[in-house]
Amino acid sequence: MTTIRPARSAGAPMRPGEHVVVVGYGPVAARFVDDVLGLAAAGTIRLTVVGGEADAAYNRVLVGEHAMGRAELSGMALSDPAGLAASGVEVLLGTEVTRVDRARRRLRLTDRATGESRELGYDRLVLATGARPNLPVLRGINPDPGAYEHLPAGVTALRDLADARAVRAVVERRGRVVVLGGGVLGLEAALAASEAGCPSTVVHHAPWVMTRSLDAPGGALLGRALAEAGVEVVSGAQAREVLLDEDRAFRGLLLEDGRTVPGDLLLLSIGVTARTELAEGAGLRTARGVVVNHELEADVELRVFAIGDCAEVLCRDASCQVCPAREGRGPSGLVGPGWRQAEWLAARFHAELDAVARGGTAVLEPLTEGPAAAVRLKAHQVELASAGTVAGEPWEPRPDGGSVVQWADGSAGTYAKLVLGPDRRLEGYVVLGLPRAAAEIGLLHDRGEVLPQDPSVLLRLDGPDAGGEESRLGPESTVCHCAGVTMGRIAHAVDEGACTVEEVSCATRASTGCGGCRAAVARIIEEHRGVTV
Amino acid sequence: MPAATATHCPYCALQCAMTLDPASATAGEQGFPEVAGRDFPTNRGGMCRKGWTSAELLASPSRLTAPLLRGADGAFREVSWEVALDRMAGEFRAARDRYGNDGVGVFGGGSLTNEKAYQLGKFARIALCTSRIDYNGRFCMSSAAAAANRSLGMDRGLPFPVTDLDGARTVLLLGTNPAETMPPFVQHLEHAREHGGLVVVDPRRSATARMTDDGGGVHLQPTPGTDLVLLLGLAHVVVHDGLADRDYLERRTTGLDALLPVLNAWWPERVEQVTGVPAALIRRAAHLLARDRRGTYVLTGRGVEQHVDGTDTASAAINLALLLGLPGVPGSGYGTLTGQGNGQGGREHGQKADQLPGYRSITDPAARRHVAAVWGVDPGDLPGAGVPAVELLTTLGADRGVRCLWVNGSNVVIGAPDSGAVARGLQALDFLVVCDFFFSETAEYADLVLPVLQWAEEEGTMTSLEGRVLRRRRAVAPPPGARDELWIMAELARRLDAPGTFSPDPEEVFEELRAASAGGKADYSGISWAALDAGEACYWPWPAGAGAGTPRAFLDRFGHPDGRAVLVPVRPRAAGRAVDPSPRPHRRERLHAPGTLTLITGRYLEQYQSGNQTRRVRSLHEARPGAVLEIHPATAAALGIQDGAPVELTSPRGRVLVPARLSTDIRPDTVFLPFHFAGDQTANRLVSSAAVDPVSSMPEFKAGSVTVRALDPEEMIR
Repeated sequence: MTTIRPARSAGAPMRPGEHVVVVGYGPVAARFVDDVLGLAAAGTIRLTVVGGEADAAYNRVLVGEHAMGRAELSGMALSDPAGLAASGVEVLLGTEVTRVDRARRRLRLTDRATGESRELGYDRLVLATGARPNLPVLRGINPDPGAYEHLPAGVTALRDLADARAVRAVVERRGRVVVLGGGVLGLEAALAASEAGCPSTVVHHAPWVMTRSLDAPGGALLGRALAEAGVEVVSGAQAREVLLDEDRAFRGLLLEDGRTVPGDLLLLSIGVTARTELAEGAGLRTARGVVVNHELEADVELRVFAIGDCAEVLCRDASCQVCPAREGRGPSGLVGPGWRQAEWLAARFHAELDAVARGGTAVLEPLTEGPAAAVRLKAHQVELASAGTVAGEPWEPRPDGGSVVQWADGSAGTYAKLVLGPDRRLEGYVVLGLPRAAAEIGLLHDRGEVLPQDPSVLLRLDGPDAGGEESRLGPESTVCHCAGVTMGRIAHAVDEGACTVEEVSCATRASTGCGGCRAAVARIIEEHRGVTV
Repeated sequence: MPAATATHCPYCALQCAMTLDPASATAGEQGFPEVAGRDFPTNRGGMCRKGWTSAELLASPSRLTAPLLRGADGAFREVSWEVALDRMAGEFRAARDRYGNDGVGVFGGGSLTNEKAYQLGKFARIALCTSRIDYNGRFCMSSAAAAANRSLGMDRGLPFPVTDLDGARTVLLLGTNPAETMPPFVQHLEHAREHGGLVVVDPRRSATARMTDDGGGVHLQPTPGTDLVLLLGLAHVVVHDGLADRDYLERRTTGLDALLPVLNAWWPERVEQVTGVPAALIRRAAHLLARDRRGTYVLTGRGVEQHVDGTDTASAAINLALLLGLPGVPGSGYGTLTGQGNGQGGREHGQKADQLPGYRSITDPAARRHVAAVWGVDPGDLPGAGVPAVELLTTLGADRGVRCLWVNGSNVVIGAPDSGAVARGLQALDFLVVCDFFFSETAEYADLVLPVLQWAEEEGTMTSLEGRVLRRRRAVAPPPGARDELWIMAELARRLDAPGTFSPDPEEVFEELRAASAGGKADYSGISWAALDAGEACYWPWPAGAGAGTPRAFLDRFGHPDGRAVLVPVRPRAAGRAVDPSPRPHRRERLHAPGTLTLITGRYLEQYQSGNQTRRVRSLHEARPGAVLEIHPATAAALGIQDGAPVELTSPRGRVLVPARLSTDIRPDTVFLPFHFAGDQTANRLVSSAAVDPVSSMPEFKAGSVTVRALDPEEMIR
């Protein structure tokens, strides 16, 4: 339990009637809004959401699927605008927050369509501004983040709905797709494009794709799986220049070694950077993100909080038991950790308001950092899951007693590598082509559970004998469980002259319940008569 | 009395039709009636071995045949009914005088006939004037019932005849194991199995899950407590892969806009990371459900319902069915498989703390007026809503709690969660009365035990899992000392100067029930005793004047005032919630702490519920003499547990000693115990009652944290 300690900081906990403003309206903001919706509906707080995009929150994770024509827009919404309005939440879409005045607790808002500006006061500010795609240093592309909206035609990232629409236009005419960056998101896009019928190529700088998640054999086997799924991988390649036609539209990617990868679309998938400008302008500390402590506070006055991809949890409290690593992380690009932060911050506000009502102190379970978030490739053709670090070899002893378990089947294209700590808990894993094993290993990792003594149990889950306990029938074996009739009794009935299932049923009641043993009874009659006659 | 009597099995809600012949040669030999299967749509002459052997108990030497009163020395002595009833009425009066009306409590059961369940609710409200009545169905059907009421506006377990399943091409079975719990039901799944369309969700490769082998379908094996997320994932695929029935959703439902954002957050890969079910399998299952939706059914059981999020999980199952356009359309649907014999009727007529007959709410003024008029009392004299079973049982003997309790047709010492605490509560009572036909584990704590009638000795009606009202008929005379509960209530009402009438005659009580239910959701007013006797198919609702009942509900409209079903935007409760200051929070205890395993519980084919009946049948006892822990070999190896060796399970509530059986049918993180057994094998001693579902008040039966260790054989003997 953590007691929210107002005494430790200069700020006071939340009180009824305050105005909470959320900046950003992506998936993490939507989750936070959802969880404090009850407070707004009850009139306990006033709630305003300011979103830069014209669309209400949608599931960014599915943007790629949408681009490939697999997910419809209606299936991506993460918010219900009508429901929010009914709860009294003010939602300002297409609106940019251009300045935070912390002293006066006021925001400057600019309507992106009309350019009009106005001010909005707040009591608590929740920054959920997310991250923006990185731009490569390539001839033909302006690497300035501000230039993102002026990329050449046919060059885009895959972050928002506008990007998705651009990609979808190419996919619908089965254009050739070039993906720059062989990380998980790039591979998902390439696989989906290939499945949609587009020839697709991944250009990756390192010797194998998903470099941070995989070791060399895993990378090689994944490369093979990608090839089988119709995705060409050009690895160890440095891109030099974007080739454009006379209309300044993308035509191909020129590599440092002189090769050209032709295409109709260049998808940039080389990571994201937190959007921190607003916080920087407001004098808040930023590093790889807006720096917050593990209670998600960005300032000592408890007025500004940050969650999701724009936030970097970096605890400054040396005695903190919750953040033992005290090592900040940039945006993970994964939505899970952001959602947990959103839930926790909402719970914190609930707890503070409850405490006011009860006249006590807010008590809350601390927001702990989970194990390294797992990477799960979202693709229909390739089954890959990984997490943590997968360095080390099975034959290399580790001084701390940790070990490595490895399985590779070149014929089936399956691969598993489990890195165990001294306590036999998973530090990292990669599982390729073994879906049930991947799911179970993922659970073991996520829960920090000890691996079975014989981890091959897990790999066998994908085998044909999974869970099978085929026992040979003996005279004492029960054939009909409903009526409790043994093989011996059925055999006896057959000896006494029963020739059909019905006659055996009459004599023994076997097969009079669920009827599931009819086939078994028939088989026994056949076999038994074969032996005795 | 005719030689052979047409009736139904005493046990589960399938209510297999049977004939009892006390005059046959076999009956003469064995001393109890001969049982024969009777052709009927639900069981088609089939029965499981519990049904075949049920008549054995009519001649059981351990049958209770006289009231037993505990003396000052603690020993039970047989007393006359006159003495027993005078004492009981006197204790009720004394408790009311001393502690107020709510100092007396009544606990009912889902095996009582409709007439008894109805009369018990009435007796509590107007003879005892207490609000403290609830029943063991709270541990059984309450989550599914709450979800169906919330989503569909009416709770009839199966809103279609069981035989409709015969034409199904795909059936999703969620947390239900009918191959063991109601075997004759399984014949109705055969068509779906032949078409590869059985989708079974169970953490265990149960007998039902095995039916998916050899092309029968798909078995999804989620880690316990994650069914809700799995259902959100299935619904996600339905929406995203364009499998939803948009036209149906438009015409027949509300709430889609609020549901979609919830579903959109649960894509299959994320669901896999929570449930352990591979994303590809989730997609495959969803597409199976949608491949031919006019032949698809979604069925839930206790495995997904007996959780602190059981109502939301059942709602998620209904949402899935609604997205596919199944409910209220012939040839498809959603339903829950009711467990106890009269689990359906038992939840309709006033045994529930907040309910009046006809599935009416006790807090609805119009409902109170209607029922009070039938009962001949002033609406203002009816008590308000009581407290649900878990809370009722935790107040036993406590200050301002129940001090004098009457238990009917329920064995709470075996069946209730944290049963050790329940037993201590029973000990703390001023007076406990238990009605049963055998000396149950709960009777051991009683001050007065009253012998009542077995199914074949009484007349009445039962409502089966498909909402069909059936006649239970007397085939043999009861032992001289046993009495019908209706007679007991009539005698007590007289002694307590209760208003209204308390008839000892089942047919008269049924007539009154019809009137009391008229206009309610579960309207029986058009169902006549004569029609039941003639074997007519009487499905409720059947309002008086309507020409027929309702075999298939919701065909034109759902039970809500606007006629539409509601998509309820359920989602898992967030982690990291503020610490809930309420005395009974709604979150399950932490699972997967180091060194712990997750316990799930369930049933054996050979035993029924608390086993008070089936444990006394010789062949059933020989087949399943005790509980066995099912544990994965890899888990067992790490704990040094051998196949067949004794193990100890502990939780903060208590401990259980059983032998282990190693099986790869169970997930490595999970262990399974049956809940039929007593003493050191009482599984529910381990189960927590600390948290309950916020809507249904269902405790967490199906995901508990336990530690397991190997025992020396000597420890086992001690």
